[in-house]
Amino acid sequence: MATGGYVGKILFVNLTDRSTEEIATSDYEEYGGGHGIGSALFFERVKDKTIDGFHPDNLVTFMTSPLSGTLAPSASGRTETGFISVHSYPIGWYTRSNFGGRFSGMLKYAGWDGIAIQGASKTPVWINIVNGKVTFEDASGLWGLDTYETQEEIWSTVSHGNAADGTWYGLDTSRDSGRTTQRPAVATIGPAGENLVRSAIVLHDAGNAAGQGGLGAVLGSKNLKAVSVIGTGSIPVADPKSLVDIRFELQNRFGYNVDEPTLEAPVDNFSFYGAITSRPGYGPLILGIDQPARPQGCMGCFKNCRRKLASGVSNEDQCVESLFYMAGETQAIQNQATDMIDKLGLNVYDVKDHDYLYALYKMGVLGVGKAIDTDLPFDKYGSYEFIDAYTKAIAFREGIGDDLAEGIVRASAKWGRLEEDLASGLLKRPNWGYAEHYNPRLEVEWSYGSIFGDRDINEHGFNWHVYWMAYIRSMVGQDPIISAEEVASRLAEATGLGDPMGFDYSEVGIYGEPKAKVIAYHRHYTRFWKQSVLYCDWAWPMYINYNSDDHTGATPEYEPKIFNAVTGKNISFADGLEIGRKIWNLDKSIWVLQGRHREQEVFAGYVYDEPNPAPYSLPVYENGEWSFSDNLGRSLDREKFEGFKDLFFGVEGWDKKTGWPTRATLSGLGLDNVADALESAGKLGS
Amino acid sequence: MADIDKTKDTVVAADGDAKTGVSRRDFLTGVGGLGIGAVLGGLIGGAFLLPEEVLAIPASGGYLLVDTKKCAGCETCMLTCSLVHEGRENISLSRIQITQDPFGKYPYDMAQEQCRQCPFPACVDACPTGAMHADEVTGVRMVDEAKCVGCEKCVNACVFTPSRVQWNHEDKHAQKCDLCKETPFWSQDGGADGKQACVELCPMKAISFTKEIPMQSDAGYDVNLRNEHYGKLGFPTN
Repeated sequence: MATGGYVGKILFVNLTDRSTEEIATSDYEEYGGGHGIGSALFFERVKDKTIDGFHPDNLVTFMTSPLSGTLAPSASGRTETGFISVHSYPIGWYTRSNFGGRFSGMLKYAGWDGIAIQGASKTPVWINIVNGKVTFEDASGLWGLDTYETQEEIWSTVSHGNAADGTWYGLDTSRDSGRTTQRPAVATIGPAGENLVRSAIVLHDAGNAAGQGGLGAVLGSKNLKAVSVIGTGSIPVADPKSLVDIRFELQNRFGYNVDEPTLEAPVDNFSFYGAITSRPGYGPLILGIDQPARPQGCMGCFKNCRRKLASGVSNEDQCVESLFYMAGETQAIQNQATDMIDKLGLNVYDVKDHDYLYALYKMGVLGVGKAIDTDLPFDKYGSYEFIDAYTKAIAFREGIGDDLAEGIVRASAKWGRLEEDLASGLLKRPNWGYAEHYNPRLEVEWSYGSIFGDRDINEHGFNWHVYWMAYIRSMVGQDPIISAEEVASRLAEATGLGDPMGFDYSEVGIYGEPKAKVIAYHRHYTRFWKQSVLYCDWAWPMYINYNSDDHTGATPEYEPKIFNAVTGKNISFADGLEIGRKIWNLDKSIWVLQGRHREQEVFAGYVYDEPNPAPYSLPVYENGEWSFSDNLGRSLDREKFEGFKDLFFGVEGWDKKTGWPTRATLSGLGLDNVADALESAGKLGS
Repeated sequence: MADIDKTKDTVVAADGDAKTGVSRRDFLTGVGGLGIGAVLGGLIGGAFLLPEEVLAIPASGGYLLVDTKKCAGCETCMLTCSLVHEGRENISLSRIQITQDPFGKYPYDMAQEQCRQCPFPACVDACPTGAMHADEVTGVRMVDEAKCVGCEKCVNACVFTPSRVQWNHEDKHAQKCDLCKETPFWSQDGGADGKQACVELCPMKAISFTKEIPMQSDAGYDVNLRNEHYGKLGFPTN
């Protein structure tokens, strides 16, 4: 039993009858927090796993971790969501997404380890959590507002206008309820969610979004506009002294020293170098680097990736959000475009395929009077006028936007183009209808992890080292900091797997048993340490550190060290992997109950049939030597990938013919009830 | 000018000329308007005379400096402050507060709000029991929790927004920044002659400590903690 980290109870909300219930967190502590607890609640409370994501019984969880709201470095601010997706294709899998900011910390200060929401309201509603008090508020006045307007309205309502002044204000008439200077933390949908756009997000503050899966549309279907939380309570910490010492040690040993950096980019204002050094403010890449700004971080972060800008336009946005409209003619237009999708509540990874539509326009397939008839001003592609019209058409389902609101893949299918465009790679959607994030033929811990799961995994732990380090150094004419061989050996050591061949990305390596063990390890690590304990993906794991001469990273030493200081437990890194394996098997079983079979786990045609057209550097072991190869011309081999599935399912203890978990595997993890459910459905592996 | 003896807790005007001091009315009038910097810092130095009441209080032995343009809003200082003092996490109990507007425009989007250890501490002046006092050794303005009766006059007396004195609603007493003098949950020695946890843990190095009374303006201390390395990141250093 933990002595710190948890605040004791989870809020269950039934939107249909507007009732609430308290669930004891201790009943689910074995899962750690976050995704693990969310999946356990989902498994119990969603009786029919085959329901559509828009069904009122779809359960949405907003979960924290023991580390949320504490000094734990780059782990304090993430909120994990779980739900049945309306975004993935062709099936809406049970899925997850998490977002940064301060929502999770505030939820715990209010006394809640998480929220589980089921049912649907007949009328627009928002949930107002003020410490232990939960009220259902009429959202008819908020319906139609964008995500920024909605938050400003709720901030003002909850704080009675005080939050904007930065003054202390009480949460009720008694001073014993405590005071705060903070704005309530609000997670809200925009017009896209209200209009059931399948890629709609939930946004918190300026740039924190639960992006993949269409959670915004799921909340829209429940008539739930927003959840607001403000709290003034305390979170117990088992060993405060150790936590402070560990935090100090970690950021001084592994972090970027802003005043005296050990490794500095050779070119000023070169944000990309942050992928190597973790310098503050590198997240937006090139967006907004032309204007005065500050770095900005989520609660408790020691990296502070994002930026807040002198224009205030596209604050906190980073990574792919900042690349949304690179065709934009000026930086200001690109800033405005990114800001617009935040406000409308759209997922950038779906709507960024305006370049696919532009290609169809140039091909004469799409345009006024064309096979795909639209009057969107593609002749002004690159202007603000275009992107404004395009994003609003989707969010409000106007014209062609009504097709696009179903997601780019469903729209392409409706137009009769999907098969052809996935085969050619004109539309790069390798897995479950989600966008290509990294090269799926080559960087296979990403693509395999995605196809064996439910979404684009968006887990950068290996990616910083196998892809970005050498690539970024080459951008400024520098050699890799460490060799391909050293990358592989350091990853093998830090993961505990011990075999460098697991990090061989050659045409042999990507189909081998060592790779299967890496893929399984990666699924287990992320399910627990990243998605349940909620270490931020952009900071953790830290396998290799380039700010110190010895390059030793914080992983695997610090994940359990911090967790144990907060909770008072005594678990090891390997213990965490085993809990992760349990959660991964629980998720897999849910997918099986939804209809998952190994035959579905195949990539889009272009991944197999279209050779890699551009240099893509990864460590390979070829002809007895390690190197960073450009991997030109490679594609994935269908037959060999099918063979790889046998290896991977063998490592996981799953039925090779179906990919279904076996009773022995599930029982070994304490999931007998899950095995029973699979058996009842006739879907237990043998 | 007052004849200042820094070894003593009190000071007396040497020439008895009240015009050389700053009256409490002047002080309060100055707050929030032009001239606050001159009132709060550097005018007299060392110790201060309030001629209306012949109340004199030694200067603090140290001050937190914040560079709000360098702050990333991560709230690490708040989480640290709560943890080292109370042994638990609660940003409402942090003696330094960061307030921010996610949609705001740099540099007006964020503020670090720390106790300035005022030369004329209205909080000390307001306290009816002597709970709010200047530490005998270091001059740091702090609360003797055993003497606090919970009247919150100190909380209301602080001239800044938000008040740098806060009501600890869980332990039922007033509290404020003590420069980490009383930090039972920290392995380091804190206080004006030791370390300050927020200074040590701020990942942006946007908080510093000085024993000299800093120069101030209406907006706060005139502090720039951004060096040439910060400039290389593409951020303003002026």
